[in-house]
Amino acid sequence: MTLRANLPAWVEIAKANIRWQYMYRFNILVGILMTGVTIYLLTLVWRAAYGGQAEVDGIGLEQMLVYLTIANLQLYFLRPEVASDIQNRIREGQIGFDLSRPVSYPSQLFAGAAGDMIGLIPMVAVALPVAFLVGELRPPETVGTALAYIASLLVAWVVAVELNMLIGLVSFWTLEMTGFQMVCTLIGNFATGALIPLWFMPEALRVVVQLLPFQAIAYIPVSIYVGEPATGAVRSALALQLFWAAALVLVIRWVWGHAFRHTVIQGG
Amino acid sequence: MQRASAWLTLAGASLRSEFQYRANVVTSIIGGLIYQLTGFLVVWIIVDRFVQLGGWTLPEITFLYGMRLTSHGIFYATMSQMFELDRVLINGEFDRFLVRPAPPLVQVLTRKLRVNCFGDLLGGVALLIAAGRGVEVAWSPLAVLMLLAAVTGGALVEGAVQITLGSLSFRFLNTLQLRASVNEVFNIYGNYPFRIFPTLLAQVLTFALPVAFVAYLPASVILDRTDGLHVAPWLAIAAPLVGVGLFLIALRIWNRQSRHYQSSGT
Repeated sequence: MTLRANLPAWVEIAKANIRWQYMYRFNILVGILMTGVTIYLLTLVWRAAYGGQAEVDGIGLEQMLVYLTIANLQLYFLRPEVASDIQNRIREGQIGFDLSRPVSYPSQLFAGAAGDMIGLIPMVAVALPVAFLVGELRPPETVGTALAYIASLLVAWVVAVELNMLIGLVSFWTLEMTGFQMVCTLIGNFATGALIPLWFMPEALRVVVQLLPFQAIAYIPVSIYVGEPATGAVRSALALQLFWAAALVLVIRWVWGHAFRHTVIQGG
Repeated sequence: MQRASAWLTLAGASLRSEFQYRANVVTSIIGGLIYQLTGFLVVWIIVDRFVQLGGWTLPEITFLYGMRLTSHGIFYATMSQMFELDRVLINGEFDRFLVRPAPPLVQVLTRKLRVNCFGDLLGGVALLIAAGRGVEVAWSPLAVLMLLAAVTGGALVEGAVQITLGSLSFRFLNTLQLRASVNEVFNIYGNYPFRIFPTLLAQVLTFALPVAFVAYLPASVILDRTDGLHVAPWLAIAAPLVGVGLFLIALRIWNRQSRHYQSSGT
């Protein structure tokens, strides 16, 4: 019942966020261009690293370049701003209004993030040609792979929102956390495997990264795309990703239960 | 001279005021350090795995990265406020700078200190020390002097570009996006030996946007890797002077463009 009762509220929140994204379209275009600049550099670096070899550790150069292009493109689009939204609301004391709404706060945040994402989708039309020019784009080998990738991409978005939300919820305790957020984003960006896929990481590092949820954001979906699924098979890779999506829901519930009691409303 | 003494007084004041918030200083420095080290981690993993990149070994690339980071740290410690310029112009703070007896540019630059610059400096120097033993360089006083001149020159190159582009704000008010993007190009392309770039890109990043002069060209002189450079070796040796020259030109441009300042009246 609650699902149905809450739906109109979620839809309205999402719509508001779609409008926000439209207002910032210029910044988004610049962001896409800079992602292109990064992708171009990565292709040059990896071409040089391969140094004429067609294949290293069973990974072909072209496969590698497609991986980097897709992963970085995807990382640009999967960058929820939930954490900074939470922080702004707390700083301005408006968090009180959010909490007094009949819809749970985490679900409001989720709806907002969905709106952000939907608002960004038209920009894919700009990003793909940019990526095609500077990187290496190639469609997935089979229709099955394409479908598995799309499913995996959706789960990747869910995990990205969840992790970002968790980082944001910490500010219910610390109130100020730009530095903490930055460090988490950086470690997160690295651990997604978008800059270096796990198969090229040194053993010790790979073991750590494999135990973290960040790989669900880039490494798992993109390795499916290029036909080298993270766990060896598409099915188990998707299962691992779904496990993280579900586990993080529980973590968020638990953290939110504690955060709610900790709320400080700064005289807005 | 007047500029230098005004700068020293004002920069000292902003340094002291930042250090009133000790916890913030520590977290910002650690944040800055982690930021830079994750960037280096990517390069390290690639070069470690593939042994070389564009013919440069791991110590050499670490050294290059360290030089660029140190330069960037010096630039950021002294000129980070260029990234606040648009706000200073729009909210009318610049009016105040015009009626005070110190040069306006000095006042803009010393408004505030961003303490995370110390993370860049620490990271840069640590990489230089770590790589210093691994590279085949006889560390004579002359070589050390060249290194100091190079990192200072590199900071001046970055400063010159940011001040020149910042001058456009007197006419167009909002150039932050442009300057932040250019800064990012310096940050990501400056760390690699240019031999891995196509010739056209290498030329563009030397003569259109002087990224090469920040670290790659002086590093190839210090490391004695001027073979196969995309420019004449003398130009690489002169890199620190190029920094000084570009900076002086940037100051002139700033002075000319600042005449176009129109107060927002707030």
